[in-house]
Amino acid sequence: MLGLAIAVWLVAPIALKTLARASFFEMTAPVVAASSYVNDLQKFWALRLHSKDELIEAGRDMARINSKYSLSVQQNGELQAEVERLQSLLKMPAIEGYRYEHARVAQRDFSAWWQRMVIRKGADYAIPVGAPVVYSGGVVGRVAEVHAYTSIVQLTTDPGLRIAAVVDGDTRPISYQGGDNQVFGAPKGLIEFVPLDVYASGSVPKRLATSGLGGVYPPGLTIGRIVHVESSADGLFKTGEVELDPRLSELTEVTVLVKEDSL
Amino acid sequence: MAAPTERSGSLVESKTGFDPRIIAFHGVVILLLGVLASGLAYQQLFKGAIHHEEERQQNERRVIVPGPRGNIFDRNGRLLVGNRPRFAVVLYLDELRGEFREEFIRVRNNYRRTSEGDMPTNAQLERIAHTSVVKRYMDQVNEFLGRSGTVDASGLQRHLERQLLLPYTLVDDLKPEEFARLIEHLPVNSPLQVYTSNTRFYPYAGAAAHTLGYVGVNEGADDEEFPGEGLTTLKMKGSIGRDGLEKQFDSTLQGEAGYTILRVDPSGYKVNPPIEHRLPVQGGSITTSLDIDLQQAAEEAIGEQTGAAVALDVHTGEVLLMASLPGYDLNTFSPKLSKAAAADIEERKAWTNSAINGVYAPGSTFKLVVSMAALINGAVHPNDTPADCEGYMMVRNRRFGCDNGLGHHGLLTLPEAISESCDIYFWTVGLKTGVDAIAAEARRFHLDKPTGIELPGETHRMLIPDPDWKQAKRSESWTPGDTANMSIGQGYIGETPLTMACFAASLARGETWTMPTLIHQANRPGQHTEPIGLSDSQRAAILKGMEGCTTEGTAKYLTTIEDLRVPGVRIAGKTGTAQIIRPQGKVDEAWFICFAPLENPEIAIAVAVDGPPGENFGGGREAAPIASAILKKYFAKKHAQVAAN
Repeated sequence: MLGLAIAVWLVAPIALKTLARASFFEMTAPVVAASSYVNDLQKFWALRLHSKDELIEAGRDMARINSKYSLSVQQNGELQAEVERLQSLLKMPAIEGYRYEHARVAQRDFSAWWQRMVIRKGADYAIPVGAPVVYSGGVVGRVAEVHAYTSIVQLTTDPGLRIAAVVDGDTRPISYQGGDNQVFGAPKGLIEFVPLDVYASGSVPKRLATSGLGGVYPPGLTIGRIVHVESSADGLFKTGEVELDPRLSELTEVTVLVKEDSL
Repeated sequence: MAAPTERSGSLVESKTGFDPRIIAFHGVVILLLGVLASGLAYQQLFKGAIHHEEERQQNERRVIVPGPRGNIFDRNGRLLVGNRPRFAVVLYLDELRGEFREEFIRVRNNYRRTSEGDMPTNAQLERIAHTSVVKRYMDQVNEFLGRSGTVDASGLQRHLERQLLLPYTLVDDLKPEEFARLIEHLPVNSPLQVYTSNTRFYPYAGAAAHTLGYVGVNEGADDEEFPGEGLTTLKMKGSIGRDGLEKQFDSTLQGEAGYTILRVDPSGYKVNPPIEHRLPVQGGSITTSLDIDLQQAAEEAIGEQTGAAVALDVHTGEVLLMASLPGYDLNTFSPKLSKAAAADIEERKAWTNSAINGVYAPGSTFKLVVSMAALINGAVHPNDTPADCEGYMMVRNRRFGCDNGLGHHGLLTLPEAISESCDIYFWTVGLKTGVDAIAAEARRFHLDKPTGIELPGETHRMLIPDPDWKQAKRSESWTPGDTANMSIGQGYIGETPLTMACFAASLARGETWTMPTLIHQANRPGQHTEPIGLSDSQRAAILKGMEGCTTEGTAKYLTTIEDLRVPGVRIAGKTGTAQIIRPQGKVDEAWFICFAPLENPEIAIAVAVDGPPGENFGGGREAAPIASAILKKYFAKKHAQVAAN
């Protein structure tokens, strides 16, 4: 029977397969979302068990962080005004605007095959395919699939994801690609087409950021730290290894950057 | 119903016992089976290897990719010639078999539905399908890049037929932002990919163009060096040195080619990952003796003029600069020289490296050779005044005028004669010394031979004439007028700027031969060749004359004009002006050779510049300022280095 089922699946039209796959995901999506909500609820009740003293201390710490962030927001506002003033002075095109869509992580899938996560927002929030996903540490990945209430994010650790990046202090674009990441290994990526005059090592790492030239990610978002570079055999470029932030595997909240014009 | 009879009931013929015909038939069958078995065994056991090889040749293809060439650096490690990456977006056609097939079926069905006339042949339908699929990918690229590229259908078909396994280029020489867009938009496993190749890159454009040389297209590496002998081989084009150091050191610079052996189906499409693969490796690099700062200073000083300059390290013979103008921008050769650019170089007569191929009479710079010949042979002593220059001299009813100075030098000693470059003095001394002694002295300095520098095409036409040569080549006798001419570096004598620079370096060391080299070695030992054989006073007289030349003689501008002065450096020099016949008319060739500092020479220079036809041109006015620019740069760098240390 199994053989017959496989044979039928193999000869089935592509449209049918695609429909079946999408339907399956939509059917299972509530389970994933529900599991995520239950998990949140579980954490909520776990936190309720903490003492009032702990709550007061956490509240005090939070207030301090909030005041720090308030200051940063003010500074950012001033810097934004300055950038806009210079742009208008130099008649430069304005930096593309983004809408920030914060989303809860419902599921993480870090298999050897692919590296992705499911977030609890989808077509209901007008999330587009290909939108960059970020967090406080930099780039998380990009939206690979959008479903009714969920979306699948392809992570920077996935070998199928490429980003046009730049080394800190340089303007020449290089190619970043997810590495061969093991299930419990430290997340890493690879870089190619690195100019020969770029040097980095584990002791003197260099920050790798998005170039903004590729059209998907805004410039300056951290991807990781270059910890190793070596010349390729043909002597044209260097290749290297990038250490990614280990927090990528523990994220609970991410932000999808939706271009204003894609609304 | 009647029972069948025994005979009628047996429908099968039965036979008992041995029928000789059946036995013979069995024998024939067994024999034939034996023949087949033997044939099979023969094919399997004896010809198996041949069949295997034939199968391999049918099923496997070899792709050879040339390795990037090595770099060329100047003596301070600055890159003179390197490789520039070229990004292209390419389509791997061998991965599109399924798409081609689907498109073929779609196109055929469309024709069947809509066409009322003749149906295209299968071959035509295939071509339409191929172009249509590739055009879809091209549209995708156009959308990403905002371009409007098109697909050349005939070129695509040629590529499919001959080079299916090689990537098909859709857009070449991408800009960095286009590269970035494609990196982010193209899926990792798409048949559409960014492909990198390399082309020569010259950071200093036209500086030292003739010396560095250029490369041309190489049809591909020798495939005998790679595994997979006998396989159908596809080679990607590489490059080969065509001139200058690129040609001379081609075997060092040439990269090591890589290869891939692929298994293909009967239509030539790749079916599996590569069977064997080796990446290309960059060729070796060379460090030249050139100093790009000095090179640029010399070229800037020559400017729009036609001329050449060479500077050598006096001790090691390393060539510090070799300039020849007019030149050309080497970047116009990369990736390929256009016809218009080639025509422009041709029109400006810029192909020739005048430093090693321009043969000119050395003019009065040759008087130094005559001086040494005369001193060594006792024809003159440093303080003698063998001639009273009244502005002209008669040699067998032929009037020779003294072109230098005011035309009346009076009685001069050797240093004064060198300083003022008095023709009357050197005619007198030359005639007294004799052509054979002068020629022998010049040959002692190797002025009759190529220098053997590591560059292709150095001329062999340098010439030190003598009576035997004239008799053999021109069937004429040598005359005293020929000796007089030779004594001032005119007549048949011919030298290149490089041979004269070597002469200046030898003179600076007090030796007779300098072997120039374009390869830099950090601790290269100094050259030591045959000493000239002058006494201290004789040598001092010549040096005094050469210094006088740059302070009060024919090159006094180096002292009197502020801009040309090299502060704190004593220069020993000698000017020369030779009259030569060019296609455009008679021109003056302005020479200046020198070395500095006088007390401990480090750098020797020779400069030769063509004057415009019909105009007076002189070594002191036109060539010496070029040497001054080189010396100023050399000593400025030296002082900066000392200060830094």
